[in-house]
Order: sequence, then C-alpha cells, then structure tokens
Amino acid sequence: MVEMLQRDALRDNLGLEFRRGALVLAVLSQLRGEQYGYSLKKALAEQGLEIDEGTLYPLLRRLEAQGLLRSRWRVEEGRPRRYYRISPLGEQIQRELAADWRALARALDRLLA
Amino acid sequence: MELIDRYVHEVGQHLPRRIRADVQAELRSLLLDTLEERARAAGRPADSELVKKVLREFGTPEDVAERYAPQPRYLIGPRLFPAYKMTIGIMALVVAALFLAFFVVGVLRIIHRPADAVNLRAALDVVGKILFTAFFNFGLVTLVFAIVERVQQQREVRGESWDPASLPPVDDPDRITPASHVFSLYAILALAILFNFYPDWVAIVGFGQLLGRWRLPLLRPEFSMHLPLLNVWWGLAFALNLLVLRHGRWRRETRWAEFGLGLFSAVVLLLIITGPPVFRYNRHVKGILLGLLAIVVIEAGERLYHLLTRKPCEPWRAAEAGASGEPAD
Repeated sequence: MVEMLQRDALRDNLGLEFRRGALVLAVLSQLRGEQYGYSLKKALAEQGLEIDEGTLYPLLRRLEAQGLLRSRWRVEEGRPRRYYRISPLGEQIQRELAADWRALARALDRLLA
Repeated sequence: MELIDRYVHEVGQHLPRRIRADVQAELRSLLLDTLEERARAAGRPADSELVKKVLREFGTPEDVAERYAPQPRYLIGPRLFPAYKMTIGIMALVVAALFLAFFVVGVLRIIHRPADAVNLRAALDVVGKILFTAFFNFGLVTLVFAIVERVQQQREVRGESWDPASLPPVDDPDRITPASHVFSLYAILALAILFNFYPDWVAIVGFGQLLGRWRLPLLRPEFSMHLPLLNVWWGLAFALNLLVLRHGRWRRETRWAEFGLGLFSAVVLLLIITGPPVFRYNRHVKGILLGLLAIVVIEAGERLYHLLTRKPCEPWRAAEAGASGEPAD
C-alpha cells in the first residue's frame, strides 16, 4: 500500500514537472484576446487542460512581471476584474516557444515510436 | 461572504506589503467568480457550505500567499541554517556547562560551609544572570545570521550572470571561511554592547573560599572618554566583515581596508595606553593592552608586506569584464 502511494506520488511529480513548462505556452496561447482569471481557466479546461487555481493565478502575475502579459482592472456586471492580454514581447516569445514545442514533440514521437 | 473576507485578509497577512492590496483585490474577484460559477452549476445559491468547499480548493492562506510571494523570504535561509544551528548548539552547551559549574560550586559550599550555604536569593540571582546572558547571546547570534542572510541574498541576486572565469584558483590565499566572519560580526556586536551598555560587566570573575563568588570590575567611569573612537573602530570592523562576506572572498581593496583598520586600532590602543588612568588595575590592564598593541602592529606589518609583495589574485575581474562586453581571457 505504502509502495503504491510512493509510486503514485513519484508519477505525479514527474508529470507535474513536464506540465509546468507547457502551461506557460498554453496560457500565452489563450491570451490573444483579453481574459480574466476564471474565464481563462474555463477556456483552458474546455480544451482539455485543467489547471488548479493555485497554479494559474500566481502564474499570470509572474508572466506579467516578466513583461509577457499586460493587465488592467475593468468593472463588469458590477464587479471589478483583472483582465490579462499577451504583450508584444509575449507574442514573440510564444511563437518561438511553440516552434520549440513542436520540435520537441516530433523528437519525442520518434524516440517513443 | 464574511468567510471570504476573513480568508482574503488572512492571505494578505502573509504577503509583502507592496503587493498585498493588489493580490487581495484579485483573489477576492477570483473567489467570487469561482463561487458564482459553482453555484450556477449546482443550481443553488452560494451558501456557506459552497464557500467552504471553494476555499478548501484554493488552499490554506499560507499556501496561497506562498505561491503569490515573489521569492521565499527567510530570516535565516536553508544555506545558513546548519551553521546557525551549530552555533546555537555550542551556546547551549556553554550555558549547560555554566549551570553545571554553578551547581558543583553550590554543592561544594554546602559540604564545606553548611551554615551559610543556602542563600536562595543569591543562587536565583546567578541563575537569572546566566539565563539573561544566554538569551541575550541567542538574540545577538540570530541578529548576526539574519544580517549575513540578507547580505548573501543581495549577492545572489547580483550574481546571475556567472562566468566560469571567476572561479578562484585552487591555491587561493584570499578564500574566506564565512563562519569566522560570522563569529567576528557577533564578537564585535557583543563587545560594543558590553562596553557601551554594561561597562560594569567588564570584570574578572572568580570563585573563592572566603569571598564566595567575587567580581572585580575593570573599568572606571572615565573609560567612557574612549568610547566614541572605539565605536568608530567597531563600526568600521563590522562593515568590513560584511563587505568581505558580500564579496565572498578577500579583495585587494578590502585587504587594504583591513590594513588601515589595523593601523586605526593601533592608534586607539595607543591613545588608551598613554591617556589618563581609566582602569581599576591600571598598570596591569595597560600592560596587557601593550601586548595587544604589539600583536596588532606585527599583524599590520605582515599585511602590508603581503599587500606589497603578492601578485593580486582577482578572478572576479574576468567576470566583470565579460559582463561589460570586454573580452575575457
């Protein structure tokens, strides 16, 4: 039982490790139009990528601090929300990361075949 | 909704002040969005059960704050903690040894002089003093480590573009032992506090059969005339130790500063020795200070000799040259 739990924890950790980098690319890809935190989470989930709140929202702030995103507060339906959008630098980096991603996926496909 | 207010407030308590209000506003908006969506999906109003469920999913306030905080902030970080733990351990041993010595002396007195042995007030007084000294030093050591942690953090932030050319040679005369500098910082602070605020404690203490525990204070009130210069000396020595720790090694300029500080301390000692009597056992204490002066002068001479004869070993210059675009060989 303990061994089983350890195996699951190890597997989860390894999975999280390669998801972590991919999340940045996923988030950047969905911010060509303005989105607030929850709408972005839903948009990603609809495409099959579930991200928990604790990861997504701090990630948005970090990407903004790095200059890849821009944000502004807007009041809609009587509630203030922070809307994020990709910056010109973010767009540039997203294109490069997407190319890297495709090259990596092709290489891994060949390796795993 | 009161629970959300409490949650957001609690998260804010664990965040740095400069990002607190912003993160709190965003977190509140995110929580309300999530709650609204969950209520819609469940087909019922957002009651306290649903609020609790959403908050549990977001995580404990400490966890949420940690994810938002720009970088972990430590009073004493994981790199320094083992050294800190060891220092505190040594101090605990010293305190334990003092208690043991006190206990042994007490028992011996009870055996030899049972008539006046049980003086509870005096015993409590000594225990109190030992405890006070222990806590005082514990605080001082913690303060010094916290300062060193801060200095090290600044060094790491600056040192992002590491250049292998900045690696020191294997046989490096300028390598430092951080522990010795940490100890120097502690000793300087302890000396400064002792001489400035507790001059009566600068004393010879002992145990005798006739007198019991005795204490001979060494400083006369006139000693305070030397305090301004001594404080300048300690302040400069403290700053120099911090600078060396920040560089991570001795540099030529800090070596010169060390030499200058040696000369300065020699002048201070000379002024005390040749000045008016400021000690209770003036001749004896001044004799000791004269010996100390000789050591300081010899050390300064040795440092000057090394400064003039040794080729400077400055590996970090290569890294700086590399960072500024100059070719580094």
